Amino acid sequence: MPREIITLQVGQCGNQIGMEFWKQLCLEHGISKDGILEDFATQGGDRKDVFFYQADDQHYIPRALLIDLEPRVINGIQNSEYRNLYNHENIFVSDHGGGAGNIWASGYDQGKGVEEDIMDMIDREADGSDSLEGFVLCHSIAGGTGSGMGSYLLETLNDRYSKKLVQTYSVFPNQMETSDVVVQPYNSLLTLKRLTLNADCVVVLDNTALNRIAVERLHLSNPTFAQTNSLVSTVMSASTTTLRYPGYMNNDLVGLLASLIPTPRCHFLMTGYTPLTVERQANVIRKTTVLDVMRRLLQTKNIMVSSYARTKEASQAKYISILNIIQGEVDPTQVHESLQRIRERKLVNFIEWGPASIQVALSRKSPYVQTAHRVSGLMLASHTSIRHLFSKCLSQYEKLRKKQAFLDNYRKFPMFADNDLSEFDESRDIIESLVDEYKACESPDYIKWGMEDPDQFLTGEGNASGTADPSLAV
Amino acid sequence: MENSASTSISSLSTPPWNLERPFLTGRFHQESKTTSRFAELKLDSFRSGWQENAIGCYDAAIQELIVIDDLLSALLGIEGRYISIKRVHGKEDEVSFQVDASMDLALQELAKRIFPLCESFLFINQFVESRSQFKKGLVNHAFAAALRALLLDYQAMVAQLEHQFRLGRLSIQGLWFYCQPMMGSMQALSAVTWKVSANDIAGSAVLNLLQSQAKAMAGDNAVRSLLEKMTQYASNAYLGILERWIYEGVIDDPYGEFFIAENKSLRKESLNQDYDTKYWRQRYSLKEGIPTFLANIAGMILTTGKYLNVMRECGHNVQLPVSETLKLMSFGSNHQYLESIKAAYDFSSSELLKLVLEKYDLIGKLRSIKHYLLLDQGDFLVHFMDIARDELSKKLDEISVEKLQSLLDVALRTTAAAADPCHEDLTCCVERMSLPKSLRALKDLVDSRTLTDINDQEEPMGITGLEAFSLSYKVRWPLSIVISWKSLSKYQLIFRFLFHCKHVERQLCGAWQVHQGVRSLNIHGTSISRSSLLCRAMLKFINSLLHYLTFEVLEPNWHVMHNRIQTAKSIDEVIQHHDFFLDKCLRECLLLLPQLLKKVEKLKLLCLQYAAAAQWLISSSIDPCKSEESSDSLVGSKKSKQCYGKTAKGAKLTTSNSAVTESILKFEKEFNSELQSLGPILCKSSQAEPYLTHLAQWILGIEMTNRF
Repeated sequence: MPREIITLQVGQCGNQIGMEFWKQLCLEHGISKDGILEDFATQGGDRKDVFFYQADDQHYIPRALLIDLEPRVINGIQNSEYRNLYNHENIFVSDHGGGAGNIWASGYDQGKGVEEDIMDMIDREADGSDSLEGFVLCHSIAGGTGSGMGSYLLETLNDRYSKKLVQTYSVFPNQMETSDVVVQPYNSLLTLKRLTLNADCVVVLDNTALNRIAVERLHLSNPTFAQTNSLVSTVMSASTTTLRYPGYMNNDLVGLLASLIPTPRCHFLMTGYTPLTVERQANVIRKTTVLDVMRRLLQTKNIMVSSYARTKEASQAKYISILNIIQGEVDPTQVHESLQRIRERKLVNFIEWGPASIQVALSRKSPYVQTAHRVSGLMLASHTSIRHLFSKCLSQYEKLRKKQAFLDNYRKFPMFADNDLSEFDESRDIIESLVDEYKACESPDYIKWGMEDPDQFLTGEGNASGTADPSLAV
Repeated sequence: MENSASTSISSLSTPPWNLERPFLTGRFHQESKTTSRFAELKLDSFRSGWQENAIGCYDAAIQELIVIDDLLSALLGIEGRYISIKRVHGKEDEVSFQVDASMDLALQELAKRIFPLCESFLFINQFVESRSQFKKGLVNHAFAAALRALLLDYQAMVAQLEHQFRLGRLSIQGLWFYCQPMMGSMQALSAVTWKVSANDIAGSAVLNLLQSQAKAMAGDNAVRSLLEKMTQYASNAYLGILERWIYEGVIDDPYGEFFIAENKSLRKESLNQDYDTKYWRQRYSLKEGIPTFLANIAGMILTTGKYLNVMRECGHNVQLPVSETLKLMSFGSNHQYLESIKAAYDFSSSELLKLVLEKYDLIGKLRSIKHYLLLDQGDFLVHFMDIARDELSKKLDEISVEKLQSLLDVALRTTAAAADPCHEDLTCCVERMSLPKSLRALKDLVDSRTLTDINDQEEPMGITGLEAFSLSYKVRWPLSIVISWKSLSKYQLIFRFLFHCKHVERQLCGAWQVHQGVRSLNIHGTSISRSSLLCRAMLKFINSLLHYLTFEVLEPNWHVMHNRIQTAKSIDEVIQHHDFFLDKCLRECLLLLPQLLKKVEKLKLLCLQYAAAAQWLISSSIDPCKSEESSDSLVGSKKSKQCYGKTAKGAKLTTSNSAVTESILKFEKEFNSELQSLGPILCKSSQAEPYLTHLAQWILGIEMTNRF
């Protein structure tokens, strides 16, 4: 069972979206709520073993760790129909059950305290796999457990499994409504630092955009968490289809990510999905061709990250890389035509300093899930406009920090003891440099960016940029 | 043809009685100038009673009676008192009739008019006898039998005439009157038989002759219909052979008359080794001497039986459902027979197609080959490359194929391939030649059909398992008709190319991961960031190449082939579509364009060199930091904090580490210039090979129309 992936769901949000993710995987692979393969699920060709393993009685168990500091959500899972799916040894709820009080520092500190227990669980799962490829972490960056404990886990994983990949699905808070978590900007900033330094890839799931999509695209007047979470699970399952339904390319996580991520730190990915539906909602069935799907994926309104950019900045934003995973009955000859059309219409604005194009992966659709549309598509993209999301986080942090508000909650914990707030400053610097790097990516000279004296090395190499000679461009 | 047939087919010979007893065969007539004393004597004694009264001494009425009597004998080839039959000297089959010169001149004239009929009879009779020998073949037998039946009628007529004569109702005029209608027919027949025996032809040649004679006699209705009837009789036996062939796929042809030959030395097992699929193409072949009425559909007849044969070889009994109405009873001008043959062809081809597609699941097999050899389901390869990494990087002579095979089995069992029942047919092999050399060998095979000295071109030193590894697939009869050794070797060429590209991709992914490892350092503006961008460019190149190969070439072409096979009418069409698919893929995968391939290989080599150096490049860039880092790596949470502080220092150091920077820039320069030089080549070639514009779009990101 090669190239396994272990999923860690941390905190309230992490467990909720994780739960939805496993529901979706079970549906797609024809696995019942108890982990038993359904009688109809006889068509082979899928890879269940990347995310599941089989117990002695052949029932499928997710390679998942359910971690929380408060019992509410996990109890909910344990009382749900899916209670028999998970390995109960893999569920961790802290003894006191008091949560992290939405304080990052508390989650981080508690994480340190229970490191041994959790690492035992992780080691057990890792030992049970043939050639572990990496970890997937589901969490939110705003609360206390997902952000704080998640951050701690990221650092620990990086230490202990330095050769393994770490991908996160990180939920960014909704900026449009006032949150009950007042220290959200602090939590986000501190988590963002770990996401930048300790993850190989972060799939950004922006609650603001998810809400907007639910309202605008799905016409839900007041979207519930369950509904936005189902959007998340759709994205998560779609982004793993090439691993679960093997095809020509992208059959391992590293291949999938390596082609998307240009430099070690610019590893934040946006997603888009079409056509979107929510359970039990009668949607208008649209014509779905490859071109339709690809075109819709490029529309900002379908992208699950909100853009805070002003118009001028938005026009400068560029795609660094795009992978479109197209599922369903696709006539492969259409792919080239669609790409051609998109290129002709100049629908995509790519970076100028390196080769870039839309990559397409055709993937099978689960035969056990009936959908009204023939073709669906997921876009994973690295786009420079993501910097505006970080800038927004930074500015919110600055506002709060200027007021010195709520810092007492943090000073209680060792990392910030003795009024040592350098961690905040450091995180701020790192996020700022990340924003700068993304900004630099928009310039055609990015390749020389930051080189102290680029000409020193470039003398006599008229055009050493990694792209086609600009003079050859149309 | 007769010669070749008689050598290859041993026919029974007739016992020698007929030759020893000339009176049985009508060959008792003496040569005109015979000198044999015995013959002279016998003739004398035979004639002795009549010699004194020459016919001239009777009066005309008597003479007429005598002549009629003699003529009636002569009509059956027997000499009379005043009509003698002599064989023409030196000519085997010609006889001449002579009348007593003293005969009344008018009677002589009339008698001479009847002689051609007598000659025809004699000739035909002899022909019938001689053609009835076994070795002359079924068509001749049938023809002779038909003639014999005709001669029986003729003899009956003569007997009736004789009866009339005995009753005294037949005058010589009357005799002439009755003989006249037969004259044309008999002469035409004797002309045909003469041609047959003069050329000593058999089988379809006889049929052709009869037909053309019938056509030539178009003006004479009676003769034409007689000849057509003869043709029909003569061809009955032949059609019997044809029937068995097109309805059962059996060649039942003891005398080698049929126009399809079977080469029994070719075995169906040879399909798995024979490059040219000789078994399929040459086991049954058309010979010369196709009857003209079948000439247009000979090919169809050949394939009909060939298909039936395949089914029989599969142990599948086929029975043409509509039986009697379709029998090939005749081939009149109504072309009924053509339709029967067409029906048989349709039946056998659709039946075989059904067998191959349904029972032997050709599409499933092709799909399974696509999974493995075209990497359509490539997850097994990821795992295989994981576990076989060490074995594959060995030198050619040190590789253990058995070990690779067992690793392959492991990889297949533990990935999605496990669900495919065909995965056990997959075997692995290690080729002796590098891919470019194998391609040259293939080209030689195609071009000249001779293996020109490929060994004189030296092999790039020390190819490893990575260049030589290939998969093979066990294909069983009857699918080996479609997936022959030749097509399989084309699949293998494509596989090896893909496999190596995948290897390059993996190595670059490894390099990418090395870069990911230094994420926590601030690499801003260092050679590492430059290196990571180069890594990205290389990854982009190899991914684009793979993308082009799979989604632009293999997948659409496979799709087209799949659709075509679904609508194909015969197995030959299927073979054609499959071969076309493979050739198109080979070409579009650049494997037939040595110049381009060389460039691509060079680029891949650069990628590999860079990937191999990446670990060193990165670690020597950050060494100063690392040594400190390792000392406090267990400190825990404060570590990252400290490290961040240090990285700035470490990163500063890198910019001064010019050896590293230089080699990164050297890689970059070389890679970019190679990539750029691909542009003009692609453009130039794309005029002849339009699909290359797709490749250019992918790997160079440029439009090629109206450029350069």
